[in-house]
Amino acid sequence: MPDHTSNGMQCHEFDQLLSEAIDGALSGAELDRFQAHARVCPACGPLLAEAEAGRNWLKGLTEVEPPAGLVTKILASTTGVDTQRLSAAERATQPGVSWWERFEATVLHPFLAPIWATVRQPRFAMSFGMAFFALSVGLTVLGIKPADVRQISLKPAAIRHTFYATEARVVRYYENVRIVYEVESRVREFRRTAPAEPGETSPAKPKGSKNDTSQQPEQKEERNYSQSDSRIILASAHVSQGLNFCDLPVVSVTTYRRFV
Amino acid sequence: MEDVQVVAMLVRRCIAGDAAAWEEIVRTYNRRIYNICYRFAGSGDDAEDLTQEVFIKMYRTLASYDHTKGAFITWVTTITRNLLVDHFRKTKQDRVTDSMDTAASEHEDAQPLSEQIQDQSAPPDAHVRSREVSETVHAALARISPELREAVILRDLQDMDYKEIATVLKVPEGTVKSRINRGRAELARLLQRTYRQVM
Repeated sequence: MPDHTSNGMQCHEFDQLLSEAIDGALSGAELDRFQAHARVCPACGPLLAEAEAGRNWLKGLTEVEPPAGLVTKILASTTGVDTQRLSAAERATQPGVSWWERFEATVLHPFLAPIWATVRQPRFAMSFGMAFFALSVGLTVLGIKPADVRQISLKPAAIRHTFYATEARVVRYYENVRIVYEVESRVREFRRTAPAEPGETSPAKPKGSKNDTSQQPEQKEERNYSQSDSRIILASAHVSQGLNFCDLPVVSVTTYRRFV
Repeated sequence: MEDVQVVAMLVRRCIAGDAAAWEEIVRTYNRRIYNICYRFAGSGDDAEDLTQEVFIKMYRTLASYDHTKGAFITWVTTITRNLLVDHFRKTKQDRVTDSMDTAASEHEDAQPLSEQIQDQSAPPDAHVRSREVSETVHAALARISPELREAVILRDLQDMDYKEIATVLKVPEGTVKSRINRGRAELARLLQRTYRQVM
């Protein structure tokens, strides 16, 4: 804006007073100076006219109505719970709504909405999932099947029977464990004391008994009898008084291995 | 416009977790915020989204409001204005593309805004004519620079005083007045051009 000086007022001063002048806040000598400057200044005069016109155009604008569901959307994006209550309340006030829907909107919904809002939170869902997983793993490890639960009888006699059976099982288990520990401790004690009394040990086997093969040929002969092709069998006979040992006939017998 | 004590109490209840207090705040201020957003952004859809964003921001930062430092409405308007500036920066590229498309279509159709208005048959109903004028002014408002636009919106449409506007825009009062004057004048020039062509 060019800075002219007319009637003792500069253009920048005029610009500063322009808003007040349009608002009607100027009076007296200041207003006179302002108007005089506007009349003679080629830049400020049109500016005053345009600014007044612009203000009038803007004042002609009326407020617009926000969209119908804006409040509901805002509450949904900020709190969440209130939105359900609001929408339920809005539904309840609509004509042609059945008594059950009205009851649901006014009584049930306000009661259940906070619970449902909590349940819907991811944190709760994650905790619930982890608890379910842990429970299922625990039941599997303990060998409890969900199908067995259905067969459980809740009659007093059955409960008493289950109690005594479980008690007996526990006692039996305890006793078994006790006996095993006792036997183990005795064996350990016995082993500990054994080297101290050599006389009581079992008779030692003769050295080299493992390598003693003196009896093995006989055993081997018995085991491998079918493997020899021919063998001379000496027939035995009583040695009588009158018969010389050398006169005994020699019989040769040949055995054939039969292949089947 | 607002009773400071009442609003301060409402805010305290809100911070304490009172959902009803928050609902009251939303009901009280949604219209005003929506109008600021609508006049600045120029589109109803954008204004709806921006209004929701403003309330989300308010909900998160409500504890930071100090009633001794200023009125609640100034605080709310400052949040709105900051989000509008962010939105303006984000959509700058889109607007450049849009204006190029518009320029191309204008070349093809060779039909500026004034001719579009002229082509429509003159409505006999004064209400319809008034609505048309409002739409023309709204379209012209969207054409002036954002600094001038926000100043005239806060002054002429929201009736805020210069001091409050200076707080919201974070500029001196003299700058606020200057922007308001220039904004009004620019709007008038745009509309005079349009209506001169129509007449």
